[in-house]
Amino acid sequence: MQPIHKAEVTLSLRADLILLPVATSFVEKAATAFGLGESEALSLTLATEEIFAYLCGAAAPGKEVLMKCRSGGYYVDQEFLFEARDFNMKAFNLTASVSMDHQDGMDETGLLIASRMVDRFQFFEEGKSLRLILTKDKSYPSLSDLPAADHNTLESYSIRPPDTEELKLFVYLAHKRYDSPVTPQSFNFPGKVADMVACGEYRSAIAADQAGHIGGGIVWRWDGIRLVEFYGPYILGSPNPGMSQALIDSCLRNVARIGAVGLICRYPTPELPAEYFEPLGSLIFRNEENALVELTSYYRHLEEDLGLSVWSHDSIEPFLVNTYGRLAFAREIKPVRSGGESHSAFSVLAAEFDRGAGQVTLRPIWWGADSESVLAAYVKTLLKEKLGGILFEMDLGKSWQCYFTPALSKFGFEPRLVLPYAGQGDLVIFQHRIGGSI
Amino acid sequence: MSAWSPERLLPDYIKRFEPYVPSKPDPELMKLYGCSRLYRLNNNENPLGPPPAAQEILRRFPPPRAAVYPSGDAYYLRHKLALKFGKQPDQFLVGNGANEVINFVIKAFCEQGDNIITGDKTFAVYEWVAEFSGLEARLIPLKHNGFDEAGMLDRVDERTKIIFICNPNNPTGTHWSSDRFRRFMDAIDGRAIVVADEAYCEFVEADDFPDGMSLIDEYPNLVVFRTFSKMYGLAGLRIGYLVADLPLVQAIRSACIVYSVNTVAQEAAVAAVEDDDHIVRTKEMVREGKEFLRNELRDLKLPFISGEGNFIMIKLPMSDTLAYRKLMAQGVMVRTMTGFRFPNYIRVTISSMEAMDAFIKALASLLR
Repeated sequence: MQPIHKAEVTLSLRADLILLPVATSFVEKAATAFGLGESEALSLTLATEEIFAYLCGAAAPGKEVLMKCRSGGYYVDQEFLFEARDFNMKAFNLTASVSMDHQDGMDETGLLIASRMVDRFQFFEEGKSLRLILTKDKSYPSLSDLPAADHNTLESYSIRPPDTEELKLFVYLAHKRYDSPVTPQSFNFPGKVADMVACGEYRSAIAADQAGHIGGGIVWRWDGIRLVEFYGPYILGSPNPGMSQALIDSCLRNVARIGAVGLICRYPTPELPAEYFEPLGSLIFRNEENALVELTSYYRHLEEDLGLSVWSHDSIEPFLVNTYGRLAFAREIKPVRSGGESHSAFSVLAAEFDRGAGQVTLRPIWWGADSESVLAAYVKTLLKEKLGGILFEMDLGKSWQCYFTPALSKFGFEPRLVLPYAGQGDLVIFQHRIGGSI
Repeated sequence: MSAWSPERLLPDYIKRFEPYVPSKPDPELMKLYGCSRLYRLNNNENPLGPPPAAQEILRRFPPPRAAVYPSGDAYYLRHKLALKFGKQPDQFLVGNGANEVINFVIKAFCEQGDNIITGDKTFAVYEWVAEFSGLEARLIPLKHNGFDEAGMLDRVDERTKIIFICNPNNPTGTHWSSDRFRRFMDAIDGRAIVVADEAYCEFVEADDFPDGMSLIDEYPNLVVFRTFSKMYGLAGLRIGYLVADLPLVQAIRSACIVYSVNTVAQEAAVAAVEDDDHIVRTKEMVREGKEFLRNELRDLKLPFISGEGNFIMIKLPMSDTLAYRKLMAQGVMVRTMTGFRFPNYIRVTISSMEAMDAFIKALASLLR
């Protein structure tokens, strides 16, 4: 069930400005061939131009750069693999600004531009090499002219995968019936969901009668390499516990033998059969009427738990001990403590927006000594943009991420729930107290 | 410059396949869950251990013989089995557990584009081996918790090479009677190989259970699997075998790995085959434990599925994997059934009364 990349093209070249047109042409042609519209392809090309120019000038002049352009069905990835003596990811912070008084600042302007041109980015250190992946999504129309919802409860139904038209109709009807975040952001665009299913990122099942009337459905996808996240079950007619359970059973049958460790539902519908799941904790959201809504996240382990070691900062250890005890998860909690060793000077966070839900999720990309000021700048910026639901995901499998804990406490975040196995280890979700009015 | 990646060399059907992660060793699990003793009720092992004669083989095995390769094709064991079941030694192929003989049959007969047929809620290894061999596994939903012969026959086509029937079925304990099995074999009429996996046949109490050993004389396309891991208590030594009509075994032998079964396992199995008292003792223990569990589960008002075999399936009013963790914390290890596509069920091995009592106490505490 892992998403299958449908196509990939590769270019290997030296970081030399004379080859800049080769790099940009490569990305532009590949992105267009992979289905990006003119505007999105141009954005990815501009981002590539800035990254490549930065590598030629400041970070890796004359070094080999491996570029891969990859179709993900509903998005295109542009990957750079290179050895760099100094690649300043700091500019990828949403809150970054650049000083024009120094050459360094001028050089990093390009990185700042690149980071704003794409929808997402990832950054990995692999031995001596650095891997930077820029992602640009295709744009899709929101469908508003589909047939009116038929909310009749079905007398009899079977659970099966939908065809493309049924899927789009189901997504449209579910989006009309349920508020965000109970439906994911992608449900704004039924065509996007259809592409996500076609490329293997999403799987889906609907409850339909013999005449093809759709009574409900469920969608699921990999979340990382060990968890499957599902959305739903969505019931389009009057509440139907039998249909809800049948949809969950269908999802479980499909994921039972694919190697997933757990099944998670962060945004359950009221129809979720709770006895199938374990409540992990809750997050608070503002609904479309601006009222605060508390949503419990549910989890179901799919395998026999083999236990895990996790890293933790002292200040959240009581929370972890309590949570693991309640959920009966076997965990060895190892403390992280600074031994006075040297660290990077800067921190980098990635921000994923769900503007429909007024929510943003921050994920650590890099930790450095300026973590407090970086986090403070993010909070200030996001609150100014009226994005009150600020979440922070910390991977307890990566010890360095725990160093963000003091900054999180200081700026009003508190740990709300643990997602077992959602990262390299478990993920702790922090929520900002002021924004979420916890 | 880039780190080497095996991705380019991997077939697509392997990329789609997730590796199986086995349980950690008991001492590690006990440390993790903080329990001082552990009742293993998860793998349908025999708590009585191997028969006494096999235990004697283990005690007396001369260490220097570990330097000598075993018999490559389990010569003495095949002769012993032939004598016991009235067959020829060459009708037996011995493998490193039944999992290996499943591999032998699939490797011998299947190529890209072929398919195998089995139930959707049964022993997972047929499906796994087929899928990581790049074959289609057609999974037919069980009917009344048993294999559905009509459903299976409907899915047979010219690319169907093997049909796997787990008899009695793990984990539901349902079985096909002798008449039903014959009707199915007649309907298949030699179009595909039929494997009857009889891993639990020695536990069967039903009178109408088919004798696979005699049916292979009637059906040249029938393969029977048996194991020493369950009734004979040799799971730690990994030894199982298949038996079929001679031409069929000769064909499977082409894909058979030799020297994969160690000397200790072969000799312990030879000794175990003789011991019918061990079967009687084990069946008595299973009968007593099953009766106890059924009564206790009725008192706890928990639905259960209990048929043949040394196990019972229980439906819980909670996630089976949560129950697993909570039972582990009390020193009881059961098998979760989500992976068998029975969400919220657990499968419990019938064991000693002490273990059954500990399990019921732990289970009751979960329901409070």
